[in-house]
Amino acid sequence: MKRNKQIKSLIVYVFLTVYSIATVFPFFWMVLSSFKSSGAVFEIPPQWVPDLLFKPGMWDSYFKVLTKHNFLRYIWNSSFISVTSSLGQLLTCSLAAFAFARMQFKGKQMIFALLVATMMVPTEVTIIPEFLLFSKLGWLNTYAPLIVPSLLVGAFGTFMLKEFFESVPASLEEAAIIDGCSPLKVYWHVFMPVAKPSLATLFIIAFMNNWNEILRPVLYIQSPQLRTLTLGLSQFQSEYTTDWNLLLSASVITILPLIIVYVFNQRFVMEGMMTSGIKG
Amino acid sequence: MRFYNNYAYLFLIPTVLGLLFFRLIPIAISIFAGFTNWDIYSPPQWTGLSNYVHMFRSEEFWSVLKRTFEFSFFFTAGVCVLGLFFAVMLNQRLRGIHFFRGLFFMPVITSVVAVGILWDWILSPQFGVLNSLLNRIFHLTSSPSWLGDQKYALGTLIVVYIWKSVGYQMIIYLAGLQHIPGELREAARIDGANEARSFFSVTLPLLTPTLFFVLIITIIQSFHTFDITYSLTRGGPYQTTTTLSYYIYQNAFVHYRMGYASGLAYILFFFTLIITWLNFVVKKKWVNYQ
Repeated sequence: MKRNKQIKSLIVYVFLTVYSIATVFPFFWMVLSSFKSSGAVFEIPPQWVPDLLFKPGMWDSYFKVLTKHNFLRYIWNSSFISVTSSLGQLLTCSLAAFAFARMQFKGKQMIFALLVATMMVPTEVTIIPEFLLFSKLGWLNTYAPLIVPSLLVGAFGTFMLKEFFESVPASLEEAAIIDGCSPLKVYWHVFMPVAKPSLATLFIIAFMNNWNEILRPVLYIQSPQLRTLTLGLSQFQSEYTTDWNLLLSASVITILPLIIVYVFNQRFVMEGMMTSGIKG
Repeated sequence: MRFYNNYAYLFLIPTVLGLLFFRLIPIAISIFAGFTNWDIYSPPQWTGLSNYVHMFRSEEFWSVLKRTFEFSFFFTAGVCVLGLFFAVMLNQRLRGIHFFRGLFFMPVITSVVAVGILWDWILSPQFGVLNSLLNRIFHLTSSPSWLGDQKYALGTLIVVYIWKSVGYQMIIYLAGLQHIPGELREAARIDGANEARSFFSVTLPLLTPTLFFVLIITIIQSFHTFDITYSLTRGGPYQTTTTLSYYIYQNAFVHYRMGYASGLAYILFFFTLIITWLNFVVKKKWVNYQ
């Protein structure tokens, strides 16, 4: 019986290791190859030790991508857009979640149902009128179309926070109301502080979604100065199809910040997506 | 308390604005625009059903639709089955299991564009790692162009997309599995059921709500494929990887046929609606709640 169990665990471990290689190896190989010279990227048989690793010129491709190809600017653009829209989303979602979880009002069921029903509609369906709206407003080629929709439509976050706010004991709220706090004060001083872990999780997930967004940048951004990282990377790919060591360094720059954030907050990211069961 | 509740609308202002301007009004405008010849340069004119007539007579539309369903079918099947398998594997008390869960989930959080570049490079026909591996093991005489050959492109796209997304479905299954009380499986084992038997007659029936939920979100996710197509193939070679969502983009923002593209968007909306509706109806019928 015990032996059987050991054999079983062994099989599971072997399988887990094999698939982990499939998920991690491509990234690992990408980082490794970004330290190769352009000729060595495609050498056959592939070399395991990159020819520029710990040698002069190791960081050349990164330096070139960041300065000559403007990726430093793209990092700033993406960070600014992702931070503002994620913070905005925290505010919008927590306000709505508070109303849905703790207040009684006319139309509550209907508004919530509409939010749920339209959450699943793919962006491709609504993007044409949205494009028209932003062009009428004269917001094309600005950050606004990348921030405003994501800031206002956060069904996912509303769900997650609603669930959390519903679990807060009523006594906490009643005490504050008896003390004469306005609803805004109850929301801000009682509910927001206890929701910190959920808010942090939501921030990380929203940040990742904004960072990775590609459809809206493709449509709304023309000027090279305003490109986000993903758009910059995509343009770079079509312009420099053969400079693989540069392309790989640029990809590492795009992916690495998220992977670092993910590694330190893995549990929260996974649990956040688990409980609400809805992406972005 | 009355006074207190009256504040609710104040709290809901941003969300309702978003719902109106980025969800409900665009959906309504799309219906309308689908009946016009709007092309961005000149004001739209009402043309009745002509967009739809054109669409249903166009061979290209039908082949795009067929491809969309092929993509949806294989992607959904792959993700739902593999995701469940991974979740079962990861739902064990073993040392380091959290570490493996983290690794399995990693592709989900990465940028599609970077993933596109990564796979473009791994799959490149002459010098890519995959072909060089295949050559060494099977001594192939030719090097298939996984993304450039009409025969393989769609299949390759599906595989890459499964690789990218399956971690997400996996953690939802995992959440479902963790809600199943251990005593039930224990009881089955005492009654003499072996592991496979207890999985199929105890675990799986109890997991149906999760199975169904995953199925629905995966089908909807499979309609929303602009990102992966744009990053890997841009719909080529010869439109063999153009699915409906990418076709909408091409018509609207490459050829500026906004009216026609709105019609296409409505077809996509229609499929989404059917799936969402099925979600509500079928859930009541065969999903097994405890």
